[in-house]
Amino acid sequence: MSPPPPDPRAKLIARGQAIFFNETFNGNGRTCGTCHPTENNFVLDPAIIATLPSTDPLFVAEFNPDLKENFENPRLMREFGLILENLDGFDDLANTFVMRGVPHVLALTTSVNSPQGPRTGWSGDGAPGDGALRSFAVGAVIQHFTKTLNRIPGVDFRLPTEPELDALEAFMLSLGRQQDLSLPLTLKGTVPQRGQEIFLDNRLGKCNLCHVNAGATANFGGGSLGNANFNTGVENLPDQPADLSRQRVPPDDGFGIPGNGTFNTPPLVEAADTGPFFHNNAVETIEGAVAFYDGEAFNNSPSGRALAGTDPNGVGIRLDATQVVAVAAFLRVLNALENIRQAIDLLEASLAGDSGRLKALLRRAVRETEDSVQVLEGGGLHPEAVAHLRQASRLTDKAARSWLFKRKLTRDAIREQEKARAFLVGSSPAAPRTATGGRS
Amino acid sequence: MTLRLMTIVVGMAGVLWSTTPFAHGQKATEVFIPIGQSPGVSYKLTIVGTIERIDPQTRTIAGAAPAGPWSANVTPRTKIWLDRSKLRLTNQKGAFADLRTGLLVEVKYEDPAGRVQGKGPAEWVKVEVPGSGRAGYRETVSGRSRP
Repeated sequence: MSPPPPDPRAKLIARGQAIFFNETFNGNGRTCGTCHPTENNFVLDPAIIATLPSTDPLFVAEFNPDLKENFENPRLMREFGLILENLDGFDDLANTFVMRGVPHVLALTTSVNSPQGPRTGWSGDGAPGDGALRSFAVGAVIQHFTKTLNRIPGVDFRLPTEPELDALEAFMLSLGRQQDLSLPLTLKGTVPQRGQEIFLDNRLGKCNLCHVNAGATANFGGGSLGNANFNTGVENLPDQPADLSRQRVPPDDGFGIPGNGTFNTPPLVEAADTGPFFHNNAVETIEGAVAFYDGEAFNNSPSGRALAGTDPNGVGIRLDATQVVAVAAFLRVLNALENIRQAIDLLEASLAGDSGRLKALLRRAVRETEDSVQVLEGGGLHPEAVAHLRQASRLTDKAARSWLFKRKLTRDAIREQEKARAFLVGSSPAAPRTATGGRS
Repeated sequence: MTLRLMTIVVGMAGVLWSTTPFAHGQKATEVFIPIGQSPGVSYKLTIVGTIERIDPQTRTIAGAAPAGPWSANVTPRTKIWLDRSKLRLTNQKGAFADLRTGLLVEVKYEDPAGRVQGKGPAEWVKVEVPGSGRAGYRETVSGRSRP
């Protein structure tokens, strides 16, 4: 029996996926997937960059003479995963630019909207035109896809068409979580449990004020403010890796032209396996990212000072090492739960889907499972769950190769995922299906 | 609402609203987008038409579009961009002097209501630079269009 025909939305998403990964817009060979590779949770980091051949279009500045100067900084790209952007204009390419990491594009449904309008990119103003996610690709093509620095439409690239923008938007919005969690979860690990308490405590961790339910929206007690921009002082961190390289890295002034120093709030559920962290990839580990908020750069920033102003003791955020690790452990568990959810979704889709997509779905499920193993092991968390996840990964891999037992192996892999999840979190009415129970 | 909660709301909301203007598109790449092709903006929030009158005293341009007559004030904040894409040349920043009668322009008003009213201060103006022999334009060494 052949599967039912895909609905119009699914067709639009599939078309968007094809454009995202294959369409070069007659430019220098890059696609959206060049900087947002699906096999690396849609982020670039030095580890994945090191696996790419020297002919990969990511490195176009290294082999295209027209893009040799003022298009990228190959050293900063290879060493720190940084991409060059001319966010304050193209008049002085040698001096006016910023170096930014590549944000993931997961859970955009939950993170783009704000009462002031859509927020895209690290500073919330990444898209031209109306600034919407749908328009983002137009700016990206002009900035990153051009054949020469002349950036002439129809010569150096072609601009995406309206139907292409519709499809790209549908695809990007389909990625990852479709709704926010509802914290607290009934976590089973002692340290992650404490981390959750600290995270939600508005007198201690204060994390939940700007990352409600570990997402990307703010709520200071008067109702949701949607996605918001803050100046958290990341630019004032000492010893930033890119600065240490002695390469030219101008300060990044964030939102607007000239910038006001603010940057966009990213969701945290996906954080642990999408580092390095912050707009400039300044911090490598999730523990380091949490510890940032305990440091001087944050506590002396406008946001840190505002937080201190609301504290009876005049404290912004002050956490000890054990508390930093606990919050990071909590974020690691949230990330693993999301990976498990996605892996189960993919495995179930492979059972229901057509044979053409089956292997791709199973391979993605393996990657999600490997991510959850890595995220938990990196924090020394839940070894029993890790054992089940490893088994799930093996079974999924076997399923992808098997002709006769594909479905049985896939079902066994789902059971292993569920066993792993049961070590991380208990079922609770407060815990939504997206966190504990499967598909969104 | 407790006093403490209220303090948090007011304090943090203060820092949020004082530092974050309304979200807007990345102006930096807007310069390279030809007239009528700005995503989500062209024809929805802009007027595309031909300049029929220019008043240098009030720095106002005016003309007619399918929706009716329009005018726009070019303020010190207004960005002027020369759309040279049809000449297969890089688009550039321009000046009030580059706005000339007979040229095709796209106007985005600072206030979205400006489009409905057909008047108001312009946030940006894109002006199409025609090929040689039209409207007296020629290329200078610097590439900047001059009459």
